[in-house]
Amino acid sequence: MRKMLLWMIVVTFAISSPVQAKLRVFACEPEWGSLLAELAGDAITVDVATSALQDVHVVEARPSLIAKMRQADLLVCSGAQLEIGWLPQLLMQAGNAKVSSGAGNFMAASQVMTLEKPASVDRSAGDVHPDGNPHVQLDPYRVLAISKALAARLAELDAANAATYQQRLGDFEARWQAAIKVWEAKAAPLKGKAVVVHHSSWIYLLQWLGMHEIGSLEPKPGVPPTSAHLSSLVDVTKSGAAIAIISAAYQDSKPGEWLSGRTGVPALVLPFTVGGDDQARDLFGLYDSTLDKLLGVLK
Amino acid sequence: MNWDGLDLSILLPACLAGLIVLATHVPLGTRVLARGIIFIDLAIAQIAALGVILAQFLGMDEHGFGVQIAAGVAALLGAALLSATDKRWPDFQEPLIGTLFVLAATGGILLLANNPHGGEHLKDLLVGQILWVSPGQLWTAAIASAVLLAVIAWRSGKLAGFSFYAVFALAITISVQLIGVYLVFASLIVPALATVGMHGRQRLVAAYTIGIVGYVSGLVLSAILDLPSGAMIVWTLAICGVLAQLLPTVRRSHPARSANVGIARNDA
Repeated sequence: MRKMLLWMIVVTFAISSPVQAKLRVFACEPEWGSLLAELAGDAITVDVATSALQDVHVVEARPSLIAKMRQADLLVCSGAQLEIGWLPQLLMQAGNAKVSSGAGNFMAASQVMTLEKPASVDRSAGDVHPDGNPHVQLDPYRVLAISKALAARLAELDAANAATYQQRLGDFEARWQAAIKVWEAKAAPLKGKAVVVHHSSWIYLLQWLGMHEIGSLEPKPGVPPTSAHLSSLVDVTKSGAAIAIISAAYQDSKPGEWLSGRTGVPALVLPFTVGGDDQARDLFGLYDSTLDKLLGVLK
Repeated sequence: MNWDGLDLSILLPACLAGLIVLATHVPLGTRVLARGIIFIDLAIAQIAALGVILAQFLGMDEHGFGVQIAAGVAALLGAALLSATDKRWPDFQEPLIGTLFVLAATGGILLLANNPHGGEHLKDLLVGQILWVSPGQLWTAAIASAVLLAVIAWRSGKLAGFSFYAVFALAITISVQLIGVYLVFASLIVPALATVGMHGRQRLVAAYTIGIVGYVSGLVLSAILDLPSGAMIVWTLAICGVLAQLLPTVRRSHPARSANVGIARNDA
């Protein structure tokens, strides 16, 4: 055992990488990894903790996650308690004071106004987040506000590259504003349309597009459906003229397909974040793919 | 390949958690195997979780020490029930354990039907993650395990009936929260199964060695391959158990004969 430990120590020292001058950023979700790539390019090193095909509420512990968190100069997450199931433990285990609070701790949802912020938190209402709905990445205006705050934070932590961040932000902002115009024109037919959702994670997208949610497969967020809820949902889906039943790439597609089979309304899997499908390779692709898929069911 | 995770300060607490769990689970595992009640750990873990859910259902604070007491009391009640059924219907102990397992698991679902937060705690209790262990948890688990080991050593041959089930229930309640139910099962069964033909002190040494090599290699591999540690260790434990069969001392007892030994003990 002692030999083994000695061996481990030797190996650890032998391979530890040289000190890096680049800012190291730990991103909890791929959408923030993508935004960081837009804002900083290769001026920083980004580690993304989760993928689009993974439920960010739950993350399996891997040694590399702790190691990456230790080396990080900046932590970028959705926040609003989305990562409450694993981020506090990971931060505690890593013991990196730079990112546990202060300038090195960037929570995207704290930079914007969140929706569905409850006046009082009552556990009987289901898995509601007291800081509001954390799934802010599907409203382009909120993403823009977050990108400005994030570029400012990068410049604050890494003054040497401040000009780069400022210039890249300007470039991103111009392309993003132009893209918003294209998206809004393209998405005009979706206005006023109704959908049924799997989990309450689409509120920002629906609000932006002027769509509305008439039902959810989960009777309360995070609570599995009961038979009474499902039977009323079948009626609501039919009578409310829903155009689709939407779920995220990481979610189980069975409940949506079940409802689709009983109502004839198509079940639609949307990427939800960067990497959720082949087209959603970056933030732009994410929006392109989401809108294409939603418009596809109208035809 | 990923060399970042190969950091002693990350892997050492997890390794210590594994060693603490192995300390009690190796000797308990040989008894569980001899009795042929290998799924008892799953049943006890599920009952402990049910106890926690019930405590929350009755309004107990979800964090803190009360939850641990609730888990321990529920596990001990489960142990008392199982030792009673063991006495009354010894031939049906395994199916009874299985039934108790599904009752406890589904009882939790029924109680939690309206409480998603409770669901998170149920998961926390059953899916402890070995990398997240804190120094505080390690100390508590180490002290509790030392006490349980002392009881095991003191009762040695006479650890039967309720005393066996009680020690077992408490050991499982501690270890499941530390390392999760899959690793608990593997730590309990694999070293005992790999050394089933051996006896006494020699068997314990061999079983502990398999366990320790399994944990250390699993942690190192999970760091290098960047894979979830708990699942990786389950596999390295099993691989170490199989590799141990290459050693003459372990193999000396013919596989067929060792199977007979297991059955003979079960009958005794």
